[in-house]
Amino acid sequence: MEKLTKKELWKVFLHQLTIRGANNYERQQNAGFTEAMMPVIEKYYEDPEAKKEAYARHMEYFLTNDITSAIPVGVAAAMEERYATEGDIDPDSINAVKTALMGPLAGLGDSLLNGTARPILAGLAISFITSGLGWFGPIFFIFGMALVSLGVRYLGVFQGYKQGVKFVEAIQTSGLISKISDLAAIAAYTIVGGFIPALVVISIPLEYVSGDTVLSIQETLDGLMPGVLGLLYTGLMYWLISKKKVSAIKLILVTMVVGIAGTYLGIFG
Amino acid sequence: MSLFMQAFLVALFVTIAFIDSHTTQIHIFRPVVVGPVVGLIMGDVQTGFAVGITVELMFLAVIFVGTAVPPNPTISTAIATGIAILAGGGTDIAVATALPVSFIGQVAETVQNSVINVFFMHRVERAAERLDTKGIVTNNLILPMAVNALLYGVPTFLAIYFGAAYVQGIIDAIPDKIITGLSVGGNMIGAVGFALLLNSIKAKKFWPFCMLGFFMASYLGINMVGIALLAVICVAMYYYFKIADAKA
Repeated sequence: MEKLTKKELWKVFLHQLTIRGANNYERQQNAGFTEAMMPVIEKYYEDPEAKKEAYARHMEYFLTNDITSAIPVGVAAAMEERYATEGDIDPDSINAVKTALMGPLAGLGDSLLNGTARPILAGLAISFITSGLGWFGPIFFIFGMALVSLGVRYLGVFQGYKQGVKFVEAIQTSGLISKISDLAAIAAYTIVGGFIPALVVISIPLEYVSGDTVLSIQETLDGLMPGVLGLLYTGLMYWLISKKKVSAIKLILVTMVVGIAGTYLGIFG
Repeated sequence: MSLFMQAFLVALFVTIAFIDSHTTQIHIFRPVVVGPVVGLIMGDVQTGFAVGITVELMFLAVIFVGTAVPPNPTISTAIATGIAILAGGGTDIAVATALPVSFIGQVAETVQNSVINVFFMHRVERAAERLDTKGIVTNNLILPMAVNALLYGVPTFLAIYFGAAYVQGIIDAIPDKIITGLSVGGNMIGAVGFALLLNSIKAKKFWPFCMLGFFMASYLGINMVGIALLAVICVAMYYYFKIADAKA
């Protein structure tokens, strides 16, 4: 089977623009990632079962900067192509590599694009307006940001794919191919652990008052281990999903109900 | 142009701006653009520029970190500009009265991310199981973008047409606890996503690395770039101590 053509990569680029489409707190940009992978999956998988598995892979949790997410999209396209045509990589390693890339790209994307490029362009636009150039300001800003947003995405998809192909070939020749899922999984697990304190947040506003002493439960917990409730809750969900085979939808509904009921009872907030 | 038509056009622009912020991100949703465009619609471009600059500077350094929902600059600027022009100038007062109204943008975004898009995402998942590519696009792109008109366009229209007080009344009528509850729940459901992800990578024996990442981020407050570097070190250590050693 042939490699992805330029035209097909452009399709991936267009669908990648929807990365934030159904952005949601359960699995963030997963639906958008799946849409971005559509042209690749449709091209390489004939067997309906294999195709379903490929789609299901990309429905897993994914969160990084919207614009730099084009890079893992390109890399994942290369890995799907390799798996579908050669079958010599472990499909689980595709998600592990994606997850490993989430962290660095979120950090770099947010600080370089939202923290640097955007304020600089907006600052320039404002100075153009105040110096009497009027509409040139906003138009300059839109062109600048369009160049950043679409340019980084273009490079992400095309270069990510190119480097992804090279990466898979390099690990093939170095004989690391059987170890790649282990190595990628280590990176993925480290990144997920690092994401949990910021993204699974549970706080208990309850206070225990005895005379003059006020004991805040949350402060005590934070002193002991910050973010411990989020970690425990993630562990509980993992246990329910992997051991008890509880469906994700049930867990989402129960979690939302617990969140709202807990807020009414004053346990959470 | 009648007020109805003006309010409608501003609402339409806000909807398009939100679609941009959820897809192409050429940033027409930033105050520096929204102010002048709303000024043009409302017939006073100078006030539009003035409000746009004021609000842009207020939000200049605000970076969207993680999933915390910040006050929304797009809806604040649109409503502030509209109200400033209807009141006959006066940037400061307009910004002061319109910013609280922009809280509706925050409420809408919380509901969107923790309820509406969770619903659409599960529809995408079912469409993918049926291998229905049209269903994926409909539920990931078309329907969520249509919802933007309802969540952001309609409140903007109401604020311009009936005044900020009217929208403030709507906000006050929403029980605080429901919104807090939704955002509390929204902050918790990420646990389900992470659990599914860890389960799909099928590398249970690597749990210590997950703990390591967690403790570094929680106790030491290391940011994502730092965690990524830590991940590189972990991978290198595993490679040198386990794989390279076994080969030698």
